Amino acid sequence: MTVPTDSTPMTPRSLTLAWLALVGLSVVSALLGGWVARGTAVQLAVAAILWLKGALVARRFLESAGLHPSLRRVLGGFIAFAPLAIALGALFPDWLVRLTTL
Amino acid sequence: MPAAALDWTRPAAEPAPGRVPGNRGIWVGICCEFVEFLVLFVTYFVARAHHPEAFRAGAERLGAGFGLAITVVMVSSSYCLARAVASIRAGALAASRRWLVAALVVAAGYPLTKLLEIDWNLAHGIDGGGGIFAAVYYYLTINHMVHAGWGMLGMLWVLFRHLTGAYTAADHDGLEALASYWHATDIIWLTLFPFFYVLV
Repeated sequence: MTVPTDSTPMTPRSLTLAWLALVGLSVVSALLGGWVARGTAVQLAVAAILWLKGALVARRFLESAGLHPSLRRVLGGFIAFAPLAIALGALFPDWLVRLTTL
Repeated sequence: MPAAALDWTRPAAEPAPGRVPGNRGIWVGICCEFVEFLVLFVTYFVARAHHPEAFRAGAERLGAGFGLAITVVMVSSSYCLARAVASIRAGALAASRRWLVAALVVAAGYPLTKLLEIDWNLAHGIDGGGGIFAAVYYYLTINHMVHAGWGMLGMLWVLFRHLTGAYTAADHDGLEALASYWHATDIIWLTLFPFFYVLV
């Protein structure tokens, strides 16, 4: 069995705060999509919230700070991919179309 | 070989330079799951870039409440599993079992919500023949539900092991492996949620 070496161990309080933040951010994200004027700024905000939620799950539930460096990089890269792609699509939509045209 | 590289030949009992929660096998599975969904994410972004109007119209037709409900279910069951792991580390076996049962009960809300959503979709004409948006939406979300289904089967197995005394404060790799898989599956859903229910 591997031994936890994380400097931020799971405590009931930290887990509960992370869960509340995840639920709150999800509601904010839904509101941004449904009730606020749509545009580049909103898409960037949605991308930022998405990254924050993924990072929260990784940091608090998966204890990513203490993960093996290779796993930490894989996790961090996966969590960053979609927010970056959303941001690029919002800022440079024509470039993305050209990039993905055969 | 770099010091940070994984050494798959090292005995599991030997202390690792960084932590591998659960076991190495589950992380091979998680990495495969990430690769699979990265390919699907690329599919989504390419389709959306070339058919922005179809995705805008499609997202507006979906019931956003279903997506939000599944999100709350996923993060809540993830939370329960994290509490189950934290409890067993503290030696509270009974509490750990209760949190695991809670995670399973909450997670069961996912397929139930999905069934209601699909029923609602079909009643509103959103079926598999609904164009590029519907095809991508159904493929990605149903694929994710299959992965969540595997996680729920894993919960049943780990619960059986937990109830039969297989895990202790010093040895609970199976529980941590399950929790790691479920958290990874949670992260994937958190990505799918804005794809189809938020971004228009």
